[in-house]
Amino acid sequence: MKKNTSIATLSIIQMRDVSASYDSQNFVLKNVSMNVKRGTNYAIVGASGSGKTTLLKLMNGMMIPSSGVVLYNYQKPDLKNKEYKKSIAKIGYISQTLGLVKNSSVLDNVLIGALPRLNAVKSFLKMFPKDEIDTAHEVLNLVGLDTKSNRKVHMLSGGEKRRVAIARALMQKPDILLADEIVSELDSVTAREVMDVIKDAQRKFKLTAIMIHHDMNLALEYANRVAVIKDGDKVLEIGVDGEQIIDFQTGDLTQEEIMEMYNEPKK
Amino acid sequence: MNPKNNLLIGAIIAVVVVMSYDVGVDPIAFVDGLPNLGIVLKEMTEFESEHWGIAFWAMLETIEMAFIGTLAGVMISLPLSIFAARNISSKYVYVPLRALLAATRTFPSILWAILFVIMVGLGPFAGILAITLYTIGFISKLQYESIEAIDYDPVEATTAIGLSKIQLIRYVIIPESAPHLLSQILYMFDYNVRQTSILGIVGAGGIGFYIINYIKFFEYGKAAVFMLVVLIAVLAIDWISVKIRDRYIMKAQHGQQVKVKTN
Repeated sequence: MKKNTSIATLSIIQMRDVSASYDSQNFVLKNVSMNVKRGTNYAIVGASGSGKTTLLKLMNGMMIPSSGVVLYNYQKPDLKNKEYKKSIAKIGYISQTLGLVKNSSVLDNVLIGALPRLNAVKSFLKMFPKDEIDTAHEVLNLVGLDTKSNRKVHMLSGGEKRRVAIARALMQKPDILLADEIVSELDSVTAREVMDVIKDAQRKFKLTAIMIHHDMNLALEYANRVAVIKDGDKVLEIGVDGEQIIDFQTGDLTQEEIMEMYNEPKK
Repeated sequence: MNPKNNLLIGAIIAVVVVMSYDVGVDPIAFVDGLPNLGIVLKEMTEFESEHWGIAFWAMLETIEMAFIGTLAGVMISLPLSIFAARNISSKYVYVPLRALLAATRTFPSILWAILFVIMVGLGPFAGILAITLYTIGFISKLQYESIEAIDYDPVEATTAIGLSKIQLIRYVIIPESAPHLLSQILYMFDYNVRQTSILGIVGAGGIGFYIINYIKFFEYGKAAVFMLVVLIAVLAIDWISVKIRDRYIMKAQHGQQVKVKTN
């Protein structure tokens, strides 16, 4: 760890030789290392079952690695650790299913993001301070949903639901945004609209975003770095700057295997 | 129709016949008794119209009792249903609580009314307590079942954000399980009005007191006035609850109102 200090000050997530499994026999991740710098949009791409979701769960402590080290802000993420639990309020996590409260209004869903900052009595009485409500409207404005803040979530379209989930995550005033395939089910126009919202939010709040994608082209279009996961192994990491690929770490992949990945972005 | 079905239908008929013999079902007594019914019905049509006023106030008392009892029962049910839900509470809490709730549902409210009359004396208050207790048993069951059926995604997502258990209940569990609550309350109120109408039989207040007394003294004309008022009130409440259901529940759940057939 020590020798990387100069890089580490810039890193928000560090993984060294991480392996993980759900049943201690079949490893979903094998010796994965990655380094996510602050402020980047880091994309993780791979086929279904390649271990992408597990990677995200390791980052916010919903899972702990069977070997290797995961560090988020120089802390080991572990939801069972009381001390760490305080810092998860700052990790914006959007699961593949979004996890919205469908029978509540858009505004109420967004305010959930502020709950960890509110004491028990006030949150039970739904007494949000004025500045929190202002912040909620601000983030709703940013994602383009302020006019629909009283609408019930189950009445929204797929793209709008994703915007609500993003707004709730932004309401956490997060350091980092973890998003699990939130645009995969959208058509390409709507998917790009949602990605633009995230791009704007990143610029505004100097946010790091780690996003899982199914579509390689979308990942290359929006991310600064793209990691490709195959069978629990990081096989490729690409640095992107605009339309230019600036570096290319292949691991032990052959030329054909890389081409194959480019040509089947969707399953 | 295959032989297996015929056999099943035959068996069911046989069981019904044996049971009927056991409990003394007597079709001849029914036919013989028809003229008696005619006499009662004829007397019933001889309304004693000076009783409309009393009947109206007695019905109002009945509705008030049902209303208070339903609301009190619902208020108590909401926290209880959370403690009784298997996906939220500990086993040591929900098992005894469910047994207790099942016990309150076991006996009809008229039996509870007898107990409460002994406890707090004759009058509407005993009836309200009986209705409250029965409502608790019923609404708690419906509510903990809908809590157990909620979608787990938002629970997981908000736990990952760091919500406390109380916040989780307040902002996820309750909103996710609430949509059927209004419908259940309306149904319960409807049911309770009918229940309360007979609680007077054991002296627990309401219009039933008049009905049972007039019937006891063969004053069918007077009893009929009171029964008719009950009928009108129940129909009115039914009509109002359909309106509320259309206006709020259908709209809230499906974003549109019911398309009622007009022809």
